[in-house]
Amino acid sequence: MDQPRFVIPATEAQLLAQSSGLPSVNEVLPTLVPTAQSLARPPISKFPVAAVGVGKSGRIFIGVNLEFPGLPFHHTIHAEQFLVANLLLNSEPSLVSFAVSAAPCGHCRQFLQELPNATDLKIVITNQRNPNFSPLSQFLNHRFGPRDLLPDSVPLLLEPHNHGLSLPNKFNSNDFELKLVFAALEAANASHAPYSASPSGAAVMDCEGKVYRGSYIESAAYNPSLGPLQAAIVAYVAGGGGDYERIVAAVLVEKDGAVVKQELTARLLLRAISPKCDFKALICSPKNED
Amino acid sequence: METHLSISPSVVSSFSSQNIMLKQMDRPGFVIEPIEAQPTAQSLASLVDSTRTLARPPISNFRVAAVGLGSSGRIYVGVNLEFPGLPLHHSVHAEQFLVTNLLLNGETSLTSFAVSAAPCGHCRQFLQELRDSENIQILIISDNNDQFTPLSDFLPHRFGPLDLFPEGSPFLLEPRNNGLKLTTRTRMDRDDEDVNLRSNNGVVCNGHGTVVDDEKLKIAALEAANASHAPYSGSPSGVALVDCGGKVYKGSYMESAAFNPSLGPVQAAVVAFVAGGGGGYDEIVGAVLVEKEGAPVRQEETARLLMRSISATCSFQALLCCSDSNYV
Repeated sequence: MDQPRFVIPATEAQLLAQSSGLPSVNEVLPTLVPTAQSLARPPISKFPVAAVGVGKSGRIFIGVNLEFPGLPFHHTIHAEQFLVANLLLNSEPSLVSFAVSAAPCGHCRQFLQELPNATDLKIVITNQRNPNFSPLSQFLNHRFGPRDLLPDSVPLLLEPHNHGLSLPNKFNSNDFELKLVFAALEAANASHAPYSASPSGAAVMDCEGKVYRGSYIESAAYNPSLGPLQAAIVAYVAGGGGDYERIVAAVLVEKDGAVVKQELTARLLLRAISPKCDFKALICSPKNED
Repeated sequence: METHLSISPSVVSSFSSQNIMLKQMDRPGFVIEPIEAQPTAQSLASLVDSTRTLARPPISNFRVAAVGLGSSGRIYVGVNLEFPGLPLHHSVHAEQFLVTNLLLNGETSLTSFAVSAAPCGHCRQFLQELRDSENIQILIISDNNDQFTPLSDFLPHRFGPLDLFPEGSPFLLEPRNNGLKLTTRTRMDRDDEDVNLRSNNGVVCNGHGTVVDDEKLKIAALEAANASHAPYSGSPSGVALVDCGGKVYKGSYMESAAFNPSLGPVQAAVVAFVAGGGGGYDEIVGAVLVEKEGAPVRQEETARLLMRSISATCSFQALLCCSDSNYV
C-alpha cells in the first residue's frame, strides 16, 4: 500500500472483520490502532495517538494527533478531533464507536459532546489492561453540552449545515485561485459554529494543485473548538499530503461581522508550517445580505 | 465597561441574614478571608451567586463563577473572561481564573470549590495539573444540593501529568523557579514591529502619552516566567501588564498535559488585572512578554494579537530569556 489510508470503505471493513474471525467491525478497530499511530505527527511530545472509528455508513475512519512547534499549544490537533473532522470531510452522518491508543483527555471528551449521539458513543482504550467499549457518558458525566446553550432546532455536528454564504460582489477572480476559493466557501458553509454564529472554512493547495478543505468546528465549551485551518490540515494529512511545506497556497473564508475572527491566527499557523505559502482571506455574507 | 470591584451592600446583608461569618477585605472581592474555619456549602454557594456579576463574557453572556478554598483557608474567586474578535481558544474559564488567582496569592493547593455549572471537560483536564487533583471536592450550584463530589468522579480514566512527566517534577501551584535570566538577543525575524513602542532611556511611551517604567515591567515579566509551569514543552513564559495608574500585574503561562487547555501568559496577566481590581482592558497601557529563546512553544505573535485586540494603543514588547548558569 503506497499511501496510508485514513478512510476504509464499508465492504472492506466487513471483510476485515470476517477474515479475522471477529464478530463485527467494532472488534477490528483496536487492531488498526498501532499502525495508525505511525501516521501521527507529534514532534513536541513524541506521544503518537491514533483514534480509529466506525461510522453509521460502516466506513472506518482514522484520526491521529498533530503538533506544531513554534506556536502556542492551542493549535494542536488531537486524534479524536482529527477523527471527527475526517468524518465531517467525508459527509459521514454519525460516529458509532472508536478505539483510541490512550484515554481521551478532557478537552476531547468535551469536543465529542458536539455529536448528536454523544452520550452513547462507544469508546475503547487500547492501552488499558482489560479494554472494553464504554459509552462517552461514563467518561464525562454531568456533562456541559450543546443543548445547554442551543434550542432543539439548531443542528448538531455532522448534521446538515448550510450558512448560505456567497462571494462578495466586489470579488476579483484574478486575485485568487478559484479552486481554493470555492473549496473554502463550501467548507465555511458546512461549518458548525452555532455558539458564535461565526462559520468559517479554509482550503489549502499543494504543489501538485490538489485542494484540501476543512470547516471550523465549534465546541459549546469554546476552547476545544477546532480552527478552520486545522480542519484543512486534517484533510491534507488524511488525503495523503506529505510535508507541510508542500502546501503552496491557502484561502480562508469567514463571515462578515463575525464575533470570532480567524484570519490572523490562521496566517500565523500557516507561516509556521509553510513559510512561503501564499495566504488570502475572504469575507463573505449570506446571499440576501449582499 | 462596568466595574464591579466591591461586594454590594445587599450581598453583605444577605451574608448576615444567613449567619455566614465572612469578612470582606478592603480590596475587590476576588480574595476573601473567612472567619469560620470551614465555610459551608451554603456560604460558598451564595458567594458564587454574588460573584457571577464580576464575569466578563461578552460573547456568550453566560456568566460563570467558581469560588474555591486554598490550603491557607482563604477563599478565592474565579470568573470567566471572553474576548470578541479572536478565536475562542483565548477564552479564560472560571476554574482557570480560580487556579491563576491561587497562584498569584501563593496558595499551594486547592481543596474544594463551588461552581455555578458543571465544569466542562477542558477545565476538568486543566485541573489535573494540581497535585492530588482527584481529591478536589466540587459543589455544583445548579444541582441545588449540598453534595461535594471529588474531581475523580468527573474525569475517570484520566490522562494527566504523570502520563508525561517523571515523578518528582513540581505540580502546578507548587513552588518552582525556572532559573531564567533575560538575554540581550532579540528576534530578528519579526516583520511587524510594534509601532506604538518607542523606547527612550529605558522608559516606554505609548499611545496614551503615559510614561511606563520599562525596567519594572521587565523584572515582573521575568519573575512570572520563572514561576511558569511548562514541563511538557520546556517553554516557560510570563507577561507583565501596567495600567494607566502605574500598577503592575503579572501572569505566568500554565501548561496542561493535554496541551490545548494550557493557559497563555497574557491570559494569566489579565486574570491578575481583573482580580486586582482593574477596570476596562483599555486601561492597560503597557505589556512585556518574556519567553525562552528557541523554545518549542512560542507566544510572541499570539500575545501581541491578544493585547492589540483588548487594548489597541497598548505598547507591547517581547523579550527573550535563557537559563541562568549561575542559578543552582
